[in-house]
Amino acid sequence: MSEFINENPDVLDENLLPSRMKDKTDLVWDNDLTTGNRGRRKQLISIHRSADSQVYRSVELVDRLLAHEMLLGNEKDVAVVTEARIDEYEVEEDEDPIDAQEIYDLIAYISDPEHPLTLGQLAVVNLPDIEVHENTDKSKISEVVVKITPTITHCSLATLIGLGIRVRLERALPARYRITILLKQGSHQSENQVNKQLNDKERIAAACENDQLLGVVSKMLSSCK
Amino acid sequence: MSLTLLKSLLLHKDKLWSIDCAKGLAATASSDRKIKLVNLRNLDFKEVEELDDNTHKKSVRSVAFRPHSSILAAGSFDSTISIWGREDSNDLQDSQETELLAIIEGHENEVKSVAWSPSGEFLASCSRDKSVWIWEADELGEEFECLSVLQEHSQDVKHVTWHPQINLLASSSYDDTVRLWKEEEDDWECAAVLTGHEGTVWCSDFENSDAPLRIVTCSDDSTVRVWKHVEDSEDGEDVWVQESILPQMHTRAVYSVSWSPDGYIASTGSDGVLAIYKESEQGKWEVVAQHSEAHRVFEVNVVKWTKINGEHILLSGADDGSVNVWKFSA
Repeated sequence: MSEFINENPDVLDENLLPSRMKDKTDLVWDNDLTTGNRGRRKQLISIHRSADSQVYRSVELVDRLLAHEMLLGNEKDVAVVTEARIDEYEVEEDEDPIDAQEIYDLIAYISDPEHPLTLGQLAVVNLPDIEVHENTDKSKISEVVVKITPTITHCSLATLIGLGIRVRLERALPARYRITILLKQGSHQSENQVNKQLNDKERIAAACENDQLLGVVSKMLSSCK
Repeated sequence: MSLTLLKSLLLHKDKLWSIDCAKGLAATASSDRKIKLVNLRNLDFKEVEELDDNTHKKSVRSVAFRPHSSILAAGSFDSTISIWGREDSNDLQDSQETELLAIIEGHENEVKSVAWSPSGEFLASCSRDKSVWIWEADELGEEFECLSVLQEHSQDVKHVTWHPQINLLASSSYDDTVRLWKEEEDDWECAAVLTGHEGTVWCSDFENSDAPLRIVTCSDDSTVRVWKHVEDSEDGEDVWVQESILPQMHTRAVYSVSWSPDGYIASTGSDGVLAIYKESEQGKWEVVAQHSEAHRVFEVNVVKWTKINGEHILLSGADDGSVNVWKFSA
């Protein structure tokens, strides 16, 4: 693919994607402070390494304040993170719960076929657009619905992206989950056509036997965590 | 009326797509590229043979026994059709091998369905290449001549089936329609288009009766419908109308329907529900038996009626590679 279909997509910082794998404040603290801040922090800590030291505690306090300030700039994200975390606690009793965050974690790190970025970073996949209808009886069928938002409304790679997501979920989820992948309403010119193709089990099965296509999909999935 | 599971057979390692029955044998086709034959005459339903699995390079999507013979056709995603033959024998236990008689090439890509005409003279095949091909076969099943390539569907053709008594062919498509085809002066022509489904039509099956002609269809729109022939018109287009929509039993795509010679319709699909309907009065259908999670949590791709020792037997096949044998007591 020599020419980009969308040359200039909006990109989210990977550290700001919704997650429950790490604490948000730690992420900001670890990665997002400027080099200058970091140098100064190091210097201060080197004065006294003991955790009881007043200097150390001040540094930590400043870092936490900074972290919160940065997060406030992205309130929606914070809300999503909180929601996901509450879910996690509620269902902790159950041996193997699958929720929207887990689905997100499975698919957000799939690489875009034309950018060196993940579907999460490009906001093609978004946590609020994932629905899980879990049947508590594991001998019955449960449903996962993922709505994807292509970066541009005429993105010809939408089908390939959807295929990558489907293959990833079919491989990762137990057989009781029926997976529906849809383009978010209004996000694409040929919405119905793409939706039909993405949910035709026979076409998907045939696509998965096409070595060339499978090669592209495998490459997209190689960045998954 | 009751539906009882007699036996569950785990035959394949991947999706089981298609089942056909004849002379006490069932053939199955799967994404594991294998075709298997199962003896239905004894209650243990033993696997008789596994056909040479090097024949097809991709999923075997469809199998069909040729009437009045011991020949089997199989359509594959590798775009070819294989033809198999075995000696006619009442003793299925002897270890005779089914032999590969022919490989038919012609379709551009995945063959999705194959079906023999009631006399066994014609073989129909369809593909993602949007076409339906009609082949004339010699008696031995070794020579096939293409008589017609029908290209009127605007999308993939998912399934083909013949009327059990006359040379009338139905093709179901991703373009949401069913087309009916018949022979007109040495050529095959579209006799009618059935429109009404709001999604891919996955399968259809004719009633075993010549008047009036009727067909059942099932779709991604989760409905099962019966259509009726009303009249022949002079310009060649026959008039067919939708007679009924069967009671809504499915919540997801319906992949397969089968109309038994005794008039029962069976349907199954993505939701794993197996349903049986009976016509209480002309055009009015009721559900007489049903089974949810017919193959545990797996999608069910195919359902097929057969009769063994006078009993109504229903076979179903699913994504886990299993066949379930059901007894239906009317």
